[in-house]
Amino acid sequence: MSTYSKSTRRDFLKASALVGTGLVLGFRLPDAGSVSAATTDYPVVNLALQPAGFVPNAYLGIDPDGVVTVQVHRSEMGQGVNTALPMIIAEELEADWSLIRIVQSPADRIYGSQVTGGSQSIQSSYDTLRRAGAAARMMLIAAAAQLWDVSPDECYAQNGTVIHEASGQQFSYGELVETAAALPVPERGDLVLKDPADFRIIGTRQGNLDNPAYVDGSAVFASDIQLPGMLVAAVEHCPWTGGRAASFDASAAEAVAGVRHVISINGDRGIAVVADTTWAALKGRELLQVEWERGNPEMNTDDLRQQLLDRFELANTPDVIEAIYEVSYMAHASMEPMVCVADVREDHCEVWAPTQDRQGARDAARSLSGMGNDAITIHVPLIGGAFGRRLENDYVSEAVAISQAVGAPVKLFWTREDDMRNDYYHPMVAAYLSAPQSSPTSIQGRGGEAVGLRTGAWRSVGEHPEAFARECFVDEVAEATGRDPLTFRLLLNAGTPRQAVLELAAEKAGWGSPLPDGWGRGIAVHSTFDITHVAQVAEVSVSDSGRIRVHRVVCAVDCGTVINPDLVEAQMEGGIVFGLTAALYSQITVKDGRVQQGNFYDYPLLRMDEMPEIEVYFVPSDRSPTGVGEMGVPPTAPAVFNAVYAATGKRLRHLPVQPEDLQ
Amino acid sequence: MASIAFTVNGQQVTVDVEPDTPLLWVLRDTLGLTGTKYSCGVGACGACTVHLDGQPIRSCVTSVSAVEGKAITTIEGLSPDGSHPLQQAWIELNVPQCGYCQPGQIMTAAALLEKTQNPTDDEIDAAMSDNLCRCGTYQRIRHAIHRAAELLGGEQ
Repeated sequence: MSTYSKSTRRDFLKASALVGTGLVLGFRLPDAGSVSAATTDYPVVNLALQPAGFVPNAYLGIDPDGVVTVQVHRSEMGQGVNTALPMIIAEELEADWSLIRIVQSPADRIYGSQVTGGSQSIQSSYDTLRRAGAAARMMLIAAAAQLWDVSPDECYAQNGTVIHEASGQQFSYGELVETAAALPVPERGDLVLKDPADFRIIGTRQGNLDNPAYVDGSAVFASDIQLPGMLVAAVEHCPWTGGRAASFDASAAEAVAGVRHVISINGDRGIAVVADTTWAALKGRELLQVEWERGNPEMNTDDLRQQLLDRFELANTPDVIEAIYEVSYMAHASMEPMVCVADVREDHCEVWAPTQDRQGARDAARSLSGMGNDAITIHVPLIGGAFGRRLENDYVSEAVAISQAVGAPVKLFWTREDDMRNDYYHPMVAAYLSAPQSSPTSIQGRGGEAVGLRTGAWRSVGEHPEAFARECFVDEVAEATGRDPLTFRLLLNAGTPRQAVLELAAEKAGWGSPLPDGWGRGIAVHSTFDITHVAQVAEVSVSDSGRIRVHRVVCAVDCGTVINPDLVEAQMEGGIVFGLTAALYSQITVKDGRVQQGNFYDYPLLRMDEMPEIEVYFVPSDRSPTGVGEMGVPPTAPAVFNAVYAATGKRLRHLPVQPEDLQ
Repeated sequence: MASIAFTVNGQQVTVDVEPDTPLLWVLRDTLGLTGTKYSCGVGACGACTVHLDGQPIRSCVTSVSAVEGKAITTIEGLSPDGSHPLQQAWIELNVPQCGYCQPGQIMTAAALLEKTQNPTDDEIDAAMSDNLCRCGTYQRIRHAIHRAAELLGGEQ
């Protein structure tokens, strides 16, 4: 155990940065004001105070009871960072996992970028968090050595205690807090990281630390924040995308009991009804009379689609295998719609923002309020799903603007319809792919996006349409040249990390084995962001009425070192369900400048009775951990569509499947 | 405004609200019971599921006047200490991802288990298919309901 505890006392006399110049400031105490301001009289269980005690860096603190509080600097939105990031710290810290507590960090440049996107949280902070834990562990060992008057080399740390090897004496971390806090932080070059062979937390199945709160209703989402004197705002947005209010009559809305204010916001793009309760705000909003200047009343998705398709010209020759693939506009549809609480005072602005970009939320609050960063506090509560939508802070701006205008704390509340009609959508995409019959592995492709609705990041961004088009086309080429889809993929991907995931998924799925009559099997593989490699095999059947039923999806993943296999499996399961919903249902259409869908009855999600059996397998790897939040999505739709072809002989080239496609 | 009396989690409450206010907003805004969630507002997703005299209902489309004199159970009242077999199973199988829909999922599942001690997959499909989860936790929900049924059996 002492292999990673070989520090000398001299090391601790040098105070310096742990993780490079960007984090020199990381060794001041976390700014107490930004963590604790005003967190007093409402239920904010996941925004607890940083404990007093030993706070060696911006990522963790240990109190005299031995409780380790980890500052999670990325947003928890269901992907598990509140559990996975502390596991990395706890590993190097040699912490007792049962004594780990979490708080969400403030927005602070100390952490570098806190944008929670691109499946980056683990890969971009793995080394930093290991060093943060290792530094604390080395300081605790040094503290114990000092108290025993022995060399740190004679001591090691294990499960929240420091042990003197020769005498068997022990100190718990809590007992060492005071001594360790007085010691200098080791220099980066002197840090000794654990040998991965000695990992006892990384690689294990740990449940989400938030689970107890999730299952008894005490988890605090932004929706759940209640402040004294808080009002609730519902905003009527212009239903014509890009439009604004020419005039409005608020008299009927203002007559609703509990309605306090009706104001125009965001350059007249919305009218906010601000009331004592959610219901009063919604009732008032219904009674608003607004004359809208229509944004782009000519916009129609049928036209946008045609313009997109007109960009491509088919060769129409037997020498070329070719096809066009299309993806619709899609909404994110997180279960918690956009919501944000803002309390803008004379000299301070406090925001509870369920955002993937807390520094961006702070910037938005700063530009609206005119206050400096020091006067702005951003809390990031638990987030009820994000999927890229919350990389945009438009709803944060709305909440701040309304609170500022009415001079009271405000909870901005979006209904499902607000959420679905004011999204930053997955773009409408088309791609043309071709391969010469004489050289079928020379697959070429080009794609384009429609210019219509505003678009944004949607779980796996461009990887999803790219994988869909390419992996469906690979099957078409395989068929045109008389090859098995798996064999052809192994040829195309030979010697790449995709080969191993293809082989594993095919083996586990029993590729080539018989299926019930009328079923088909399809395969797809994709490397998302070039770092995580996922292959999936889907088994489907299609009913006489043309309804696709997905029975089973086998998934093989290579994501480097696995921090928590259970969380990776959960992300693969979730990514596959997201991909199935995209394949079968997700379609936002625009008619005469208005988004037509508004709720789950016209923008359905996959349901329990449509859920396939999902199996997830890992390709062993000792690479650094990569990312998994988005990587389950891209292979799913092409695997399913390829399976539909195997079952029916019909090629699907449009996401989602259209009702007429299989009839 | 009207004064409306009913029982929540075994406690008698009287609220002064507009009688057409959905129960969801009375629970959340008036009574501070925020475990019950809004997601669709039209009874199409199940996030707001509570029990009315033991039956699962969508509180977002149930006006508070309709529950006068009735007994409501929310996720906060499912068990005194989070130890209902479904809550145990949810933690054991690490069901939640974002967690937002899970109170509604658990309340729907609790009503199922009240009625059907050891539900089949088809019975789970029938009971649970109107509860949406965007994170895609359905497989774990299914396994956790079976596990909770086992735990319940063990208590008998």
